[in-house]
Amino acid sequence: MHTLPQQLANGIFLGAMYGLIAIGYTMVYGIVQLINFAHGEIFMTGGFGALTVYLNLPHGTSLWAAVPLMIVGAAVTSVVIGLLAERFAYRPLRNAPRLAPLITAIGLSLALQELVRNLYPNATSARVFPQMSAGPWKLGSVSIQAGDIFVIVAAVVCMAALAWFVRRTRTGRAMQATAQDPDTAQLMGINTNRIISTAFAIGALFAGIAAVSYGLLYGQVMYNMGFDAGLKAFTAAVLGGIGNIYGAMLGGLVLGVAETLATAYIADIPGMHQFGGSSWANVWAFILLILVLLFRPQGLLGERVADRA
Amino acid sequence: MTDTDITPGTPDVPVEATTARTEPAGPRPLLPLPLTAARALTLAGAVATAASAWLSWTWTSAFPGDLTVTGYPGGLQWETFAAGLLTALFALSGYGVRGLRWLTPADPHGATLLAALGGLATTWYTVIAIATELGGLANLTTGGWIAAVASLLAVLGALALPPTGIGGGLPRRGDPDARPDADSGAGANAVQRALAALRGYLGRRPAPRPAAPAPIAVHYLVILAVVALGLGVFTYGIDANYGELFVGYLLTTCFALWAAQRAGLLTRFAELNNRHRAWTTTLAFLAAVAFPLTQSNDHDANVGVNILIFATVALGLNIVVGLTGLLDLGYVAFLGVGAYAAALVSGSPYSPVHGTAFPFWAAALVGAAAALVFGVLIGAPTLRLRGDYLAIVTLGFGEIFRIAVQNLDGTSGPDVTNGPNGIPQIPDLSIFGFNLGNPHTIGSITLGRFANYYLLMVIATVIVIAVFSRAADSRIGRAWVAIREDETAALAMGINGFRVKLTAFALGAALAGLAGTVSAHVTYNVVPDPYQFAGPVAPNSAFLLAAVVLGGMGTIGGPILGAALLYLIPEKLQFLQNYRLLAFGLALVLIMRFRPEGIIANRRRQLEFHEPDDAPGPVATPGTAIGTTTDPGEATGPASAQAGA
Repeated sequence: MHTLPQQLANGIFLGAMYGLIAIGYTMVYGIVQLINFAHGEIFMTGGFGALTVYLNLPHGTSLWAAVPLMIVGAAVTSVVIGLLAERFAYRPLRNAPRLAPLITAIGLSLALQELVRNLYPNATSARVFPQMSAGPWKLGSVSIQAGDIFVIVAAVVCMAALAWFVRRTRTGRAMQATAQDPDTAQLMGINTNRIISTAFAIGALFAGIAAVSYGLLYGQVMYNMGFDAGLKAFTAAVLGGIGNIYGAMLGGLVLGVAETLATAYIADIPGMHQFGGSSWANVWAFILLILVLLFRPQGLLGERVADRA
Repeated sequence: MTDTDITPGTPDVPVEATTARTEPAGPRPLLPLPLTAARALTLAGAVATAASAWLSWTWTSAFPGDLTVTGYPGGLQWETFAAGLLTALFALSGYGVRGLRWLTPADPHGATLLAALGGLATTWYTVIAIATELGGLANLTTGGWIAAVASLLAVLGALALPPTGIGGGLPRRGDPDARPDADSGAGANAVQRALAALRGYLGRRPAPRPAAPAPIAVHYLVILAVVALGLGVFTYGIDANYGELFVGYLLTTCFALWAAQRAGLLTRFAELNNRHRAWTTTLAFLAAVAFPLTQSNDHDANVGVNILIFATVALGLNIVVGLTGLLDLGYVAFLGVGAYAAALVSGSPYSPVHGTAFPFWAAALVGAAAALVFGVLIGAPTLRLRGDYLAIVTLGFGEIFRIAVQNLDGTSGPDVTNGPNGIPQIPDLSIFGFNLGNPHTIGSITLGRFANYYLLMVIATVIVIAVFSRAADSRIGRAWVAIREDETAALAMGINGFRVKLTAFALGAALAGLAGTVSAHVTYNVVPDPYQFAGPVAPNSAFLLAAVVLGGMGTIGGPILGAALLYLIPEKLQFLQNYRLLAFGLALVLIMRFRPEGIIANRRRQLEFHEPDDAPGPVATPGTAIGTTTDPGEATGPASAQAGA
């Protein structure tokens, strides 16, 4: 089980999920220079949206039929919450000093966590998420679960769709224009408010899909799963170059692989035998973030941009 | 988009209509009553509210505070009494009663309304709490009903007083600038009209009349009285020993403070404070020292210590967030570093380096130095970048610290912190042979263990305040503010941004470390739990940030007040248990939306946040003031109802 190919594969699956969440950070940041800290919680609510759909399906529904519905449930929940947050929490602060929306985001993130914890039935501890019974399949020495396949397929499809959307559609091009210069974009007749809402919605949609894959990968959803996942996803976005959607996915993959490898192999380094294992995984992820910021602050695919004064 | 354009769109508004200020030609009140009747109603309601506190409100003593006694107020009734009395005073002052006019130098009727609302809120809260907790309205006696009706009458009366604020109110009948439908009460407009009327009470406030000259001794006495009142109010809040009393206390104090602000009293006091800063500071220090002497049991002193620790750390964070504008989301980790460093060298038998027992001054230095080192380690790589990265890296660092402290237990890491068990049995401090763990008797007053630590923390807080204010007024402090306001411009002016930011970051970290050393000794043990990003009780990074933001960024009083509130509210409102963080999160969102400068506003920050609509207009008259609501997107509804003729 602990062969190198297996670890790499696990890292890629984990990283694909980070990448999906990171898209939301990077798109919103690219357009309004706002770190939407509540994005992790939007991801989390998606997980509970999917769970709600599953629990309300007739007993014995095959998971193959249920998963598409669950994706819809997750996406709808996440997108609605993301749009509400944008409209009522962030938009009024569009021209406020930079600290204000960040603090709002922290408040929002706490409030969403607590809402789910207090109001969702039995959500004070982890809720079991349904698992696909198929698999695991063997691919050489690598064993692959159904959830792994789901996350990889979801990531590929989402990235392809997003690339098409941003490059080919009118809204997508308007989005690029707004990211480059909101004021000029507005002068050219682009409804920037709508573009910003769209960015939030797409980010939330991907977060919802990521939440379903999280549930399938780990078999549970929790009210506080958004904090950790959100932090990692943000790290991934920075790693790839914040504002760059391909960078977000690449950053996610690099982070996922690095984290998995560190968990598995750090202990083998002489003198480090106590620092392996999953309990130190987050530490290595953040150390990676700090190293990236030290040596390549614009991220892997990012360009150095001047501060907009 | 400035506010200096005097409504170019409405040149046809006659001058006499715009210069009208108060009765008889001013804006009409919300409720149509003759002025005399309104005054009588307000005053009668206020006096009846205050008097009803002396009646019995309920039959049994099942409701906490025993509200059954006729002839003497108990518990929540004191709060109703205070609110009623305040309303009556403001109402009399607004009437122009000789000797009371000084109470309302700015906006008498707005202040009266707010005080009356405070009475209404407290009284109705009490009445409703009685009815729900004891099961039904039958539990109210006549006294309870009288109180409820009287407080309502006071509010109605106050709403019938003509507004004395700037703008708002309803246009007078026959006013040339009144829209024809403004009086018809068309359904869709009723809410707008009510809001317009309320704006006259709660909207912008005229500047207070200049204070009459008075001998310096009077100034000193006034400041003394205010500080004594503040200590009394604060002590009352800490002593509030059941949730209902504390809720009532919060309601009454909030409205009373708002009313005082509306009346112009806070501005007056700020002027006094500015003129006699040394005297105010001395008195505030004395009040802080006197606090444990007013407490009969050591538990309240414990609350005091924790508030002070929390406040000190919040002040340190204020350097980073409030002055320099760097968002640090893992700040509590520096408190943790200080606490763990102090615990390691405290001589606790469970410390992995047991046997080393440093004296307090050395332990404090070790704690501060350790936090400083970590601050530089985190700050150096990130402070060169945009501020957003710092936020996330500090959040990550906070997590790393918590995880590391939990893992460094000898099995999943080297043994440094004993993992989740923490380091218990930290001995009490001994300073100059004075053991802070033992009660000491000074004169006839016994100072318990927590009172000792409280006094130590008062000294620590004074040091931190001194560092904060001296640093903020120095060259480097001005550089911090410049960086916060506009980093690009600051760099262009020759400020070494990186070094200045790193100094702020390191100084903030060191102060937190210092507070951590004391907190380790106060709580006897250090465990990883409190040092997380968000938790239900203080301190954690989110609460610290909230204390700074809620209190007022960049001020000294703000974080202290914020820390006191954020510590006391969860402590007193145990019934909110599961909803504390929820309420807290929503509160952060709402504060940022409606009062981003915090309770105690830094003047500069206030201007920064409210640039378009708060700067004083050229002519502070109702008509033009409405015209100065400048944002085209916002100038809808009531404003355009008057201005757009």
